[in-house]
Amino acid sequence: MAEGTPDVKEARRMLAKGICIAGVGETEQGIISDRGSFELLAEVTKTALDDAGLELKDVDGIVTAFSFVESTLMHSTTLADYMGMKPGYFASVAVGGATAPLMAVQAAMAIDAGLAETILCVRGDNTRSGISSSGMIAMAREMSHGAYEAPFGLTTIGGYGLLAQRYMFEHDIPQEALAAVVATQSEHAALKWNAMLRDVVTVEEVMESRWIATPFHALDCSLVSDGAAAFIVTTAARAKSMKKKPVYITGIGEGFSHQYISQATSVASVRDGLGRAGRRAMEVAGITAQDLDVAEIYDSFSFTPLIALEGFGVCGPGEAGDWVMEGHAKLGGKLPMNTHGGLIRQAHLGAMHHIVEAVLQLRGEADDSAKTEFNGGNHQVPDAKLAITNGSGGILAATSALVLSSEPPSAA
Amino acid sequence: MSEKPAYTKPLPDLRPEDATFWEALKEHRFIIPCDDAGKPFWYPRKYAPGTLNATSWMDATGNGTIYSYSTHFMGPSKAYKGDPPHIVALIDLEEGPRMMSILVKDEEGYPSLDHEDVTIGMKVKLVFDDVTDEVTMPRFTPAG
Repeated sequence: MAEGTPDVKEARRMLAKGICIAGVGETEQGIISDRGSFELLAEVTKTALDDAGLELKDVDGIVTAFSFVESTLMHSTTLADYMGMKPGYFASVAVGGATAPLMAVQAAMAIDAGLAETILCVRGDNTRSGISSSGMIAMAREMSHGAYEAPFGLTTIGGYGLLAQRYMFEHDIPQEALAAVVATQSEHAALKWNAMLRDVVTVEEVMESRWIATPFHALDCSLVSDGAAAFIVTTAARAKSMKKKPVYITGIGEGFSHQYISQATSVASVRDGLGRAGRRAMEVAGITAQDLDVAEIYDSFSFTPLIALEGFGVCGPGEAGDWVMEGHAKLGGKLPMNTHGGLIRQAHLGAMHHIVEAVLQLRGEADDSAKTEFNGGNHQVPDAKLAITNGSGGILAATSALVLSSEPPSAA
Repeated sequence: MSEKPAYTKPLPDLRPEDATFWEALKEHRFIIPCDDAGKPFWYPRKYAPGTLNATSWMDATGNGTIYSYSTHFMGPSKAYKGDPPHIVALIDLEEGPRMMSILVKDEEGYPSLDHEDVTIGMKVKLVFDDVTDEVTMPRFTPAG
């Protein structure tokens, strides 16, 4: 392993404690109008605890995100109260789509600092059923500047569209490249038990769906869903007595480019800003993009994973479209991507499901064939040992990435 | 002057630090902020981004080039229901900074430019749209 700068060495020192994910859970996804936000969070917490072989009293820390439905400025402690916990460590993370990997980082740092040993990371909401139309508008406006963007009728979709159209212009990327991301992920979602959209769509069908904001058709966009997901972070020493094989966090990284899309300097600077998160995570893990077995890449829109694949060094600048069109992102391809269907086909809960899916892949548990009542199929990447996963908040503004491994870090 | 229909689209959040900008627009003057070295930046802030040094205002031509655009077939709120698509664009101003606006055909009611008539790299110029008695919004139309 290359020696690394002091900050990389410090990250390796922390992760060498064997910081790992010992349990995961996810609820059904879609329209769940019979359950509230906290109810979903409690339900999925129970699932993750059962998966790890733990009881709630074994958990001494809690990291949550935020809710679009339940208004509280203290989300983590409100949930702790609801579930009857007295955690020694609590934090609510709110960096949009970058939140889930940052929750894992927050948990790792709290464990390293001795604040807690076993930390529940949980996020969920009934965004689809529970949100009011004014809440939806507020959510959309969150992404844009209140004086110099929102009054022009910018939508989040259009904000991504501005960047995507420039990317396609600079690199001569065809519309088919975006559609190929959706078609690829639709094949994966068809196998995932709780994916909202289970039908396989073709490149042509994606391009024939109605325009929302150029260059995006309806099928290029991520879903709005109800549901929850959870993962439990602890140390290898503690995980020994738990039920499941731990999955180690061996790399962490963050990157920032801009907040408002009008402040993004160039396609290259955005690629570099988000790319830093993945490149640094891989540097900390002592691996390169060529070592990866599976990639669960944030996919708010069909364009989003393309620029991430390039930023992370899986492909060169402007090459990710061909990479996907050539089938390398499919199950059976060089680097299967979003094997659960992603935000575009499974459900939208930030990057929570990307982390859960990466853990299931590395445990060899991504075969849903036994879930016959959900018509599940096998989306397991054979012998997967190394995964990258990331989340991006805003319009590719802030990115956090993790490298997950079935094996402990070499120094651990 | 004929009666204008009420403006239903979102109005800008107004803050004390950029009152000068909106006052100038109301007088159909376009100014942009610059740092203590005279380098213009966007969006307006009291303190210069990167240094937090003092800022001032400079006149700008309103000439620019389209960096990118996205034709919105769906607006962000009910206020856009039934409207023809609007084109949100990022415009590189002649003076350097990049700002967001929408593209219009002309100043006769400021109708949206047609999607087919937009290209990246196209030259545009700023026009003033008095949307209410208090607020004038900057728009851009194809230059010459």
